[in-house]
Amino acid sequence: MKYVIIGNGIAGTNALESIRRFDPEGEIKVYGDETLPPYCRPMISHLLEGVVGPERLPVRSRDFYDKHRADAMLGQRICAIDADQKQVELPTGKTVSYDRLLLATGADPRPVDAEGTDLENIFFMRTEAQVRGMVKRLPDVRRALVLGGGLVGFKAAYGLLRRNIAVTMLIGSGYPLSMQVDETAGKMIQAVLEERGLEVRTGVSVAAFEGNGRVREALLSDGNRVACDMAVIGKGVSPAGRFLPADKIDMETGILVNSRMETSCPDIYAAGDIAECLDIARGYYRVNAIWPEAVSQGRVAGMNMAGIPTDYRGSVSRNVIRIFDLDVMSGGTLDDRDMDDTCRTVVFEDRRRRIYRKLVLKDNILIGFVLVGKIDAGGILASQVQSRMPVMLSDSELASVDLNFATIYSHARYGGTTHTEDAS
Amino acid sequence: MKQVIVSPRRCVGCMQCVVACAVAHSRSGDLPGALAESPRPNPRIHVGAGIYHEGFPNRCRHCNPAPCMAACLPGAIYRESKTDSVLVNPDVCINCASCAMACPYGVIRYRPDPLIRSGNTVAIKCDNCVARQHKGLDTACTEACKTGALVFGELDAAMKRETERVARSMTPGPEAWALHPETEPLLAHKRAIVNMNHQEEGRSSS
Amino acid sequence: MTHHHTRSIAKDARILIQKAENDQVETVWDRHDAQQPHCGFCEMGLSCRICAMGPCRVDPFGEGPQLGVCGANGDIIVARNLCRMVAAGAASHSDHGRDLVEVLASVAESKASGYEIRDTEKLFRVAAEYGVETGDKEPLRVAAELAYAMQEDYGTRKKELTLTARAPEKRRDLWRKAGIMPRGIDRETAEAMHRTHMGVDSVWQSVLEHSLRNALSDGWGGSMIATEVSDILFGTPAPAATKVNAGVLKADSVNVVVHGHNPVVSEMILVACQDPEMTKLAEEKGAAGINLCGVCCTGNELLMRHGIPMAGNHLMTELIITTGAVDMMVVDYQCIMPSLSKVASCYHTKMISTSDKAHFPGVPHMEFHPENARDMAYEVVERAIDNFVNRGTVHIPVEPVDAVGGFSVEAVLGALCGSPGPLIDAISAGSIRGAVGIVGCNNPKIKQDHGHVTLARLLIENDILVVDTGCAAVATAKAGFKTAGAAADAGAGLRGVCESLGIPPVLHFGSCVDNVRILVLAAALANALEADISDLPLAAAAPEWYSEKAVAIGAYAVASGIYTVLGPMPPVTGSVKVVEMLTSGLEGAVGAVFAVEPDPEKAAVLIRRHIEKQRGKLGLDEIEGI
Repeated sequence: MKYVIIGNGIAGTNALESIRRFDPEGEIKVYGDETLPPYCRPMISHLLEGVVGPERLPVRSRDFYDKHRADAMLGQRICAIDADQKQVELPTGKTVSYDRLLLATGADPRPVDAEGTDLENIFFMRTEAQVRGMVKRLPDVRRALVLGGGLVGFKAAYGLLRRNIAVTMLIGSGYPLSMQVDETAGKMIQAVLEERGLEVRTGVSVAAFEGNGRVREALLSDGNRVACDMAVIGKGVSPAGRFLPADKIDMETGILVNSRMETSCPDIYAAGDIAECLDIARGYYRVNAIWPEAVSQGRVAGMNMAGIPTDYRGSVSRNVIRIFDLDVMSGGTLDDRDMDDTCRTVVFEDRRRRIYRKLVLKDNILIGFVLVGKIDAGGILASQVQSRMPVMLSDSELASVDLNFATIYSHARYGGTTHTEDAS
Repeated sequence: MKQVIVSPRRCVGCMQCVVACAVAHSRSGDLPGALAESPRPNPRIHVGAGIYHEGFPNRCRHCNPAPCMAACLPGAIYRESKTDSVLVNPDVCINCASCAMACPYGVIRYRPDPLIRSGNTVAIKCDNCVARQHKGLDTACTEACKTGALVFGELDAAMKRETERVARSMTPGPEAWALHPETEPLLAHKRAIVNMNHQEEGRSSS
Repeated sequence: MTHHHTRSIAKDARILIQKAENDQVETVWDRHDAQQPHCGFCEMGLSCRICAMGPCRVDPFGEGPQLGVCGANGDIIVARNLCRMVAAGAASHSDHGRDLVEVLASVAESKASGYEIRDTEKLFRVAAEYGVETGDKEPLRVAAELAYAMQEDYGTRKKELTLTARAPEKRRDLWRKAGIMPRGIDRETAEAMHRTHMGVDSVWQSVLEHSLRNALSDGWGGSMIATEVSDILFGTPAPAATKVNAGVLKADSVNVVVHGHNPVVSEMILVACQDPEMTKLAEEKGAAGINLCGVCCTGNELLMRHGIPMAGNHLMTELIITTGAVDMMVVDYQCIMPSLSKVASCYHTKMISTSDKAHFPGVPHMEFHPENARDMAYEVVERAIDNFVNRGTVHIPVEPVDAVGGFSVEAVLGALCGSPGPLIDAISAGSIRGAVGIVGCNNPKIKQDHGHVTLARLLIENDILVVDTGCAAVATAKAGFKTAGAAADAGAGLRGVCESLGIPPVLHFGSCVDNVRILVLAAALANALEADISDLPLAAAAPEWYSEKAVAIGAYAVASGIYTVLGPMPPVTGSVKVVEMLTSGLEGAVGAVFAVEPDPEKAAVLIRRHIEKQRGKLGLDEIEGI
């Protein structure tokens, strides 16, 4: 059996491990754009922040591929595949045939439509190499401009603020992390960042970057100018699937996969940030480009490729971030577009302790939550979302900062005999 | 292999396991010394309250596979095979709380700890008292528990004991309470109070 | 977000709980939640901290340790713990009584300016019971001799306490035979501590027996002395109109709130508050006047004798401070939560502690003694007036409710033309089925006032006269049961009696120490019938009790022959034997038992069944099948 894995991120890495566990004999080839051994992509923001050095990023040893008897050809971006011939095409023009192919190419940052993006000190923040480049320039940087208030933009801004660099953030929506949290939580996050020197501008974009070789200034769509000696583009990512034959492999935002991680094309699988699969909380297909789902998807894809039929139950978007002393965890969906009249929202707020919690239930099944402050037991809620089991807890128990597993166990133990729903 | 066997229904909520756990994870190893340490030692077991205020000893299940281990970004969480324990390497942990998001039992905390020499805030969770086990000691929580809610033993033996108990528990009283603590008078009483307080109000409300 | 509707049925409490939350003030309910789960060993009475070989605990499930280090099993540990609760409760009320006797002695020596003998008739009557020759002696001389005789009751030189003579002969015989006749007030408490020391009384039955004797030394001793001497010094209560709930605070006046139990301090505060000079001072500060209110039982003492308005019971003591209207809270002792000063610090409220035996964190101390009390009281009230200008926002959540208080035994018999005859007639005729004392505290475990109010309502609906004291009395007053008009809520029979006498169906009998008034009335009824108290259609209930005093009260009620239903469970469930003794075994020994039933609707059924059964035994008509 010949396996080809495109992508040496965490999905591809986990797939490789799974395949090798169940197929000791098969031939495995790995192609990767990046040249490093598998590393922890989410930790590049910690690298920017300065809390870890680059040596801490790898999650597998240098001899990982050898140990797994895999042929790793890194630094080669695959240009095309021929699904009929079951071949992949290398940049050199050489072709390699496969019996089973895994697409784990991840995603690429979306470029911005502005002039002057080729100036120095304008960065994407997707790879270890990009962040290492940023870190190298930091000694000369006083003011940074961050485009986008999503997860990447936020992490860039936070890391730079922690490095005592003044940051201006341009946000298209009204508040940061609008894909992850609701407005209240977003504004709380923004307030903390602003206390530490972040300047936020909403509803504007960059028309042009200017500078003499290096970026010095950005011209905004509203005509204002912002001085900056570094810019980070965090306008989201696109699944890296442009090289794929669109007539053979069904794609929406990402490559559509079933519960076996199979694409519409026989013997081609997809996993990780490129894969679009069932979102458990939302009930429809969606790319949930997060680390733990990439791990699971890679694992499941690998098992299926090795002939062990295994189902993936679907993904749940979730994130946890620490912003100075404010902790925020979110999971599932809080998006108004996912709500209907079977949904109800439970909110708890304690401004003094800077605690805010919002939970959304649909037909009494938890489909989304955001916790600000006191996140210790957030995993209980995340697993509740994943389980799709009707919630037995009362609203106040569910939203309580003292939520603990005891309450859930107690409800299970006395199932059905519990007190009535709180009225207040 | 011996392990901690939890029978939540036998927990009376005395929290002695909590104290014993914190002491076992202190530098001094004794209560007065532990109280004097800074930072204060952290308990790794958490006694929560159920809907009728009954106790529940909540500790790491050392799941296999462990979701926290899969979610750990820097790879700080690993399995120690000798005691089958899921452990955190505090030197690798970056306090990102990804494990909190993964743990379905909510048993991971983030604190500075007297046993963490770096002084960093890191993920703190039950370590199955591996240090004690390596010295041939039982886990601290089971040593402290007097009701059998936490027992250190072989699972097979525990199952056998439970089976025997079922056979013995046909008459009311302590034997039956061990199996069906909800028939125990105090718990029945507490349930009655909580249910009453939650009842819709009748004419008594003003 | 929190469960306000699970915390209290009272409107003022609910509003103020919300306000406390908004003001970020922690209350007793928050702390109760934070304490969950409570330690099961302690809740079951199975933990023993008596000696340093321990502490020990016994596994209720039968697998872990079954004996303490000393060898005591769960039965002994539970009984010893219960006995020590009784001892602490008896000590509290009896020591309160001692303080009053000391004031009486000081008055007799003319060393207590401001205090006087207000009820000379009662002084002479009680003195006669103590064998003090009255003849044509000066009242102060009689007071001196009575004080001395009462102090002797505290000592140990007697075989029987003096006031046990008030109990029916049959009852006293029973006590003697059972070996639980109390001999000395302090002696029984000291002996309780001795017996429960390691290696002394190690048979659970005899430990329980002594618990009853200790309780009786409170009920027919220290507490009874407290009530009687309070009446002698401050006047025997007579019915008077008053107002209750947090609405008694006045936004435009200096609000002085007295809290605690002993009337010695609050009576003198009352004198100072009523002085026109002080009113003038208050007016100079821009206040309309001085408004003295009570909370808890020191409030009940003033309410009973002077119709002073009552702001709330135990669980209201923190909340009334959150109104921002309390300029001064003067505390004496018992049931004063150490949290109060923290709550007060969130508002402008000043607090003063007054008793040499009760200091509180962060509360300035001004020690009151009989000889300086008057001057101290004026100073306290001046400080209250000075504090009026520091007011912040004031929120008084409700309008007050009318109530009538002041039903001493003397007042009740007075209303009945001097003898219990008419009451006995009404009971015999069945228009009143029986009488029940609802007593005791608030407890955050139980929705505040729900137990008291629901039980009182269900009893009067079924023609059972309710007399109540302490926090229970405040709860039913807030619910509007203490007006003559409330007779309309009673069953036809009770309603008729109440309307003809012009009394409420729920009679305010005073503070918690005044539970002895119920004993005295019960004894008077029994004596009139030449029966024992345990023969009568009576019962007692403590639906929301929390304190050790309540344990002593419950024990003396049962030992006196009154069936007693507790709401919260006392820490005894660790011993099946002790539970069985308390709930059935005592019937044979003292003719009454305890029951535990937190749901007042079910408690009402238990009580009605008991009362009807008692009626049947007396040959009266009996309703069956309740």
